[in-house]
Amino acid sequence: MLEVSGLTRRFGDMVAVDDVSFPVPSGGLTGFVGGNGAGKTTTMRMIMGVLAAHAGTVSWQGHAVTRADRRRFGYMPEERGLYPKQPILDQLVYLARLRGMSAADARREITVLLERFGLGGRTKDPLEKLSLGNQQRVQIIAALVPAPAALVLDEPFSGLDPDAIDAMADLLREHARDGVPVVFSSHQLDLVDRLCDRLVVMARGRVVAQGTGEELRADASLRYRLVLGGDAGWVRDVPGLHVRDVSGPEAEVEVLAEGAEQKLLAEATSRGSVLDFHRVVPRLSEIYREVTA
Amino acid sequence: MRTQPVWQIVARREIAVRVTDKSTIIGTVIMLAVIVGALGFAAWSESREKTYEVAYSSTTSQAMVEGIAERSTEIDEKVHIEPVAVDDADAAEHALEEEQIDAYLHPDADGWTLLTLAEADSELRGVVEQAVEAIVLTGNAEAAGTSAAELTKGSAVALDQIEGDSELTAIRWVVGYALAIVFYFASIMFGMTLANSVVEEKQSRIVEMIAAAVPLRQLLAGKIIGNAVIAVGQMLIYVAVGLVGLSLTDFSFALPALSGAIGWFVIFFLVGFVVLSTLWAVAGALASRTEDLQSSSTPITMLLMVMFFGALYLDGVGEVIGSYIPPLSAVLMPMRLVDGTAAWWEPIIALVLLLAFGVALVRLAERLYSRALLQTGGQLSLKAAWRLEE
Repeated sequence: MLEVSGLTRRFGDMVAVDDVSFPVPSGGLTGFVGGNGAGKTTTMRMIMGVLAAHAGTVSWQGHAVTRADRRRFGYMPEERGLYPKQPILDQLVYLARLRGMSAADARREITVLLERFGLGGRTKDPLEKLSLGNQQRVQIIAALVPAPAALVLDEPFSGLDPDAIDAMADLLREHARDGVPVVFSSHQLDLVDRLCDRLVVMARGRVVAQGTGEELRADASLRYRLVLGGDAGWVRDVPGLHVRDVSGPEAEVEVLAEGAEQKLLAEATSRGSVLDFHRVVPRLSEIYREVTA
Repeated sequence: MRTQPVWQIVARREIAVRVTDKSTIIGTVIMLAVIVGALGFAAWSESREKTYEVAYSSTTSQAMVEGIAERSTEIDEKVHIEPVAVDDADAAEHALEEEQIDAYLHPDADGWTLLTLAEADSELRGVVEQAVEAIVLTGNAEAAGTSAAELTKGSAVALDQIEGDSELTAIRWVVGYALAIVFYFASIMFGMTLANSVVEEKQSRIVEMIAAAVPLRQLLAGKIIGNAVIAVGQMLIYVAVGLVGLSLTDFSFALPALSGAIGWFVIFFLVGFVVLSTLWAVAGALASRTEDLQSSSTPITMLLMVMFFGALYLDGVGEVIGSYIPPLSAVLMPMRLVDGTAAWWEPIIALVLLLAFGVALVRLAERLYSRALLQTGGQLSLKAAWRLEE
């Protein structure tokens, strides 16, 4: 397990990352969400040791992470790029060798991955001759060879077409299944919701919410949706509720006092027909807006 | 499994990328062609024999021209004179204009006139002047009842000099400046390439992936060493071709005197080059894009100019002092060695000083390099880079 505790980093007077702690358990995907400038990239850079932390620690399997550990982590920085003029196989082998792999092993593994990504015939092409999507694939391979002990990926899905997103998602799941802790950041909240076992939400340098999707939803406010035969305007007068929205026969309410929703339902049936009454499970994007507001 | 040190992997990539780069190959071939061409031209013009067709239009001048032809090889072994008969002065002028003959010799009131189309070649002039003087002197001496030998007896001036051989001194001078020029251009050329390859990694952002995997000191070391191997390899090829070429010309007598100094030059070149490379790497790290490189490398190009002009203009005490001050010593000490004005222990002291300076500079450069490398927002000043936190 990879674990971050109390990480803090200032740039001048600005605190970019403020006392950030979260675990990245083995065998699962951890999604890292937050707006631009929330501190995700700075946190990931500190995890990888590219940026020094002013406070806090990163631990790996229970001990403070070392350079040797990090050398085995697959990393995809937010600002990416490889050598534009070097053939892709050559530069991937070079990067793998920097991370301690022998040239022959690197060549073999990279060739397999290039074939899997449909780039098997282009190993000798310089990177700049590839389309942006294919360049992104090469970048992913750079993070996956040698077989990573952990994966730290900053925006791995940005710039990918839907097919590539699916392939990427499969790949991350595969690694997670093999017991590799995977943390990745993304702006695509629904994708994160669909993929991740755990979520870490950052805003203004701090972690504002974290946990599994279920946990986050359980923490979110209790909401009900009501559809009546007649006008729903009277709902505003029921105590213990916050009305989020009313239009014609429909209303959505948030429960402030326990049991208020039962009183609402009783009142509704006494006034006429009730066409629908159900609990609203908030989408992650809604929770996100709530916790980052 | 024992893995290869990181700097070696980096250096190997630098070398592999460079030697397969078309512009490097073309540059090397052109440079070799220039060296071979220059030496070939020198050898050719040294050994070239020239034949001049000199015309006469009277029996007096025929005797004179034939006399010159007889003596020409005594005066200059590479010059041959071929007498050619013409009808008169007009015919001679016409033949000159048509370039059928090279010169027309005829007597006039004060002696003789050599008519040529344009300015006469110095070889032709020398031979004609000396031969005519000798022939006339002999004639006049006989008319006066004596001999030329009698007349010129005791007038010979032998040349002797205390300080070495003047021709060797000239060669030392030329070789010294040639080495300074080679150092200057190699530093600029390879330095720029190094700075470019640093900024390329920064601009393409790959450096962040490398930084996550290996210590930046190893990256810096690998890049500098790889670059130095290429530079020194290329220099060795040039020096070897140059020396072999030189040995084929008439200047070959200078080789034994120079080979020690050239050996020192290679050592100083290597150390000085590595020291300057660290500065070039910093210049690359301070830039964010290739376009910034011009301005971020200004301080080092200025330093190189100072070194270069120092090498050209310093002499006497200034040269001796300069030959100890790093990095100026990287150029001046080898030049003094070529000149033969440095004692055997002097290059050793200068080299130790240069190495110490280099170690200090590398430490400084490493800090600047590793801090500036991840800053991608525009060009950094040295001061700003120094203050950056890791």
